Amino acid sequence: MQILKHKTNIDFIGKRKPAVFISTLVNLAIIVGIATVGFNFGVDFAGGTVVELKFNHPTTAADVRERAQKGGLHDVSVQGIGASEENAFLLRMGGVTQLTEEGAEKAKVAIQGLGQVRNVYADMANGIINFRSATPLSAAAVKQAVESTGTGVQEVRDLGASQAGNGFDYQVVASGMADKVFAALGAGLDKPDFEQRRVDYVGPQVGKQLRNRGVMALLYSMFAILIYVAFRFDFKFGPGALLSMVHDVIMVAGYFLVSQREFNLTSIAALLTIVGYSVNDTIVIYDRIREDMAKYKGKPLAEVINIAVNDTLARTILTSGVTALSLVGLLIFGVGEIWDFAMAMLVGIIVGTYSSVYIASPLTLWLDERAAARDARHHDGAKQQPKVA
Amino acid sequence: MDRGWWWKFSFIVAVTLGTIWFLVPTYYSLVVLDRSERNNISVLEQRLPKWAPPAKYRLNLGLDLQGGIHMVMRVDTKTALQKRTERRGQQIANFVNDKKLATVTADTDPERLQLTLTVSPESAMDAVEKDVLSTFGDFSKVGRNGDKLVLAPDEGQMTRFREEAVDQAMLVIRRRIDKWGVAEVDVRKLGTDSIQISLPGRSNPEQAKELVGTTAQLEFRMVDDSNPQFFAEMVKQHPPSPESKVTLSDTEGFPQLSSPSREALLEYTKGKVPENRQVLTECVANPVKKNDCLSYRSYLVEKESPLTGESLSGADASIGQMNEPEVNLAFDAAGAREFEKLTEAGVGRRMAIVLDDNVHSAPRINEKIGGGRARITMGRAGARSFEEWLGEAQTLALVLKAGALPAPVTVGEIRQVGATLGDELIKKGSLAAAVGLALVVVFMAIYYRKTGLIADVALLLNGLLILAGLAFFNATLTLPGIAGFVLTLGIAVDANVLINERIREELSHGKSARAAVDQGYDRAFWTIFDAHVTTLIAGFILFFTGTGPVRGFATTLIVGLLASLFTSIVVTRVITTYFVHGRNAQTVSV
Repeated sequence: MQILKHKTNIDFIGKRKPAVFISTLVNLAIIVGIATVGFNFGVDFAGGTVVELKFNHPTTAADVRERAQKGGLHDVSVQGIGASEENAFLLRMGGVTQLTEEGAEKAKVAIQGLGQVRNVYADMANGIINFRSATPLSAAAVKQAVESTGTGVQEVRDLGASQAGNGFDYQVVASGMADKVFAALGAGLDKPDFEQRRVDYVGPQVGKQLRNRGVMALLYSMFAILIYVAFRFDFKFGPGALLSMVHDVIMVAGYFLVSQREFNLTSIAALLTIVGYSVNDTIVIYDRIREDMAKYKGKPLAEVINIAVNDTLARTILTSGVTALSLVGLLIFGVGEIWDFAMAMLVGIIVGTYSSVYIASPLTLWLDERAAARDARHHDGAKQQPKVA
Repeated sequence: MDRGWWWKFSFIVAVTLGTIWFLVPTYYSLVVLDRSERNNISVLEQRLPKWAPPAKYRLNLGLDLQGGIHMVMRVDTKTALQKRTERRGQQIANFVNDKKLATVTADTDPERLQLTLTVSPESAMDAVEKDVLSTFGDFSKVGRNGDKLVLAPDEGQMTRFREEAVDQAMLVIRRRIDKWGVAEVDVRKLGTDSIQISLPGRSNPEQAKELVGTTAQLEFRMVDDSNPQFFAEMVKQHPPSPESKVTLSDTEGFPQLSSPSREALLEYTKGKVPENRQVLTECVANPVKKNDCLSYRSYLVEKESPLTGESLSGADASIGQMNEPEVNLAFDAAGAREFEKLTEAGVGRRMAIVLDDNVHSAPRINEKIGGGRARITMGRAGARSFEEWLGEAQTLALVLKAGALPAPVTVGEIRQVGATLGDELIKKGSLAAAVGLALVVVFMAIYYRKTGLIADVALLLNGLLILAGLAFFNATLTLPGIAGFVLTLGIAVDANVLINERIREELSHGKSARAAVDQGYDRAFWTIFDAHVTTLIAGFILFFTGTGPVRGFATTLIVGLLASLFTSIVVTRVITTYFVHGRNAQTVSV
């Protein structure tokens, strides 16, 4: 069996200008989109709390939202997951701890009412209020005072007497959001009618750290691969491989942008795999171009590239096709982030195949032409150099 | 067939059999054992047949697949630094005031971590500045204005202090989780100020947060040695069941109970001790794997704890007069009085240093200790070198400080997956992988016929190799890991597509079957190699920057690519060569 019955003779190089033009346009549009609209960052990067609940009776997202709001949870988004008869929902909240700006102000006032208290400052990122009291306080009293203002308290830490001898230090640690969810939804019930299946809870600083690390990982791997390609092939091939890599990553990022699917750590893993895979595809074609360059000495590079791309067309389609085939199972049975991963990979494989043919190869040609032109100019320049002597 | 071929063939058969053998512990832990025993390595050790590889070489399920809690704790080094700066400020003020150079008060700016010294009279400023800066090398001058001198702690010192705070916190967390009795916990440092904790099988994140997040409790308790045969009599009266693995051992002249399981030991002694006494355990460290307990041994201690870590003001390790490492303790005024009373009454007895209900050590009291300073001389039991001996003293100092100095920790990240969801994900994940694999296998067989089937055989071996490789590295299979597994199988088949297409091409140029196969493999080799290496680069970078499930993906990808290089190039070639050379075939079915 053969996928392409006859040898193809498509003029890929001839269509490079419109292809590069369209790709550049789409890429720019995606970059603008990322800058203006932005990704739908998951809890991994944005920080916040995600709770997955499964109810033991039929209910809808709207019902769950209403119950949460009645229980005092206002900024919550509810989304059904899986089949509707599963009654499973994802609840997302921006905050990590129950401490809000407003709550912190109220808590401060309450703490100041406890006695001679100074140096009260709220560490919003960690959900902590620090303060110093002139007299020793009981942890229970502090907890009660803060909780009366509506902020749940996980712990009051007694940090001991200050060394300078002018007070006693305390730390109030606010409870997590997840607690509030269970309290809000379970209000008025003897036994909760839901099972808590998953809790993800990421502090804002950790989220930022994770995001920076992800971006750095992408840059490092591109750089490392560029060095490898330059080392294994002629340097002429390096920029082509790099640009098609950047092109593919932007296109897959575009998938996350357009679909507004959650962008999280697994998405970064998908992008990194695309980086590796994109070059994989490019290399298959480069390999053949290099081989054919030796075989057809004297023929213009444009023609050699066309021959190489046509000769390898069947295997380019097949290799991508087979890898895509292996993802079908994940696309059918995968849920949540794994489905997103498989979909992103599929987009990446398609775009990667396209870019290997239409982006990487023409760029090599273009660089070659430029080098030739520069050489020619250089020669001309040498000839026309006026004699000074 | 030539001899070289037979060598290669035997090697492949050996690798295949080795792979299957290596998967025996994984098979037992995931299929044979009940899920409640899945994480218990000692149960697995018992159940494994004698010929199987050691139980530690098994594939673990990630927290996302078996349910559990993953946490990242951030050590609040800022608060600890504020406390320290303030303490140093007080020391500086005392130093100057003691010298009667001037009257100095110290004030700390908690936000900027700066120290402001107010000097009176102002004329003494120059002398104070010079004296303070030369004596307190860990501070440098930021500015001076009238009677105010502003100092800031040295960067290097702060970094060291931060590291120490994180180490302390880690030690405490490890002990606390130990107390909870969770098998297979994993506690490791993450970056500069974070600690990552994995708790398989746990389901209550709030409880976990509370357990890990609160500060440690240090106590001093008297050991009851009035009846040295206490544990021996207990064993005589109530022989422990063999399952509990509780045995009587004689370590320090006293019979003590010993068991690899802390819970079993405590369960056994329950109800067998007098009202005002309690059994506490000490961890006998595993000499090979640090921070791991080989077994636990029992102590009978008084229930009452007259002295706690709140009274301790400091602890340091040093080398004593007899060239033995020792730990110096300092108590505050109330603590000093209590400690004196305690040691006076207890001369000749042992005093247990207890952190979070674990006995750290139980030194003997030689004499009454007054003045609020105590010294613990380290016995040399078990330490192989002087460094290790000194190291033990430093660890003890750290433990004491950890109990005494609160270095607060806050939760940076919690991810909890319920057990039912985990089961569901395994089911869906395996189904997805099976469907993807089946599609690829069927496609290859139809499209390439015989060589396609050969590639399929290689692909199955590749799948086994990935699992065995993950088991060898004691890696964790996560949901993204399953995706990585599927993807790698796709890439492995890729390589065979490259080879087969090349063989077809060579055949179409009129080459013989033999030459076409040889050239096909030779020419495709570097292409495949380059393609694998570039994906490997991405995989390694993902491994070193990723955490948790994503790291699981990277591990699978890396192991898979390495396995794929072997199966798709070496294995398929050996089989193909058999059909082409061995039977003197003129055609090859691609």
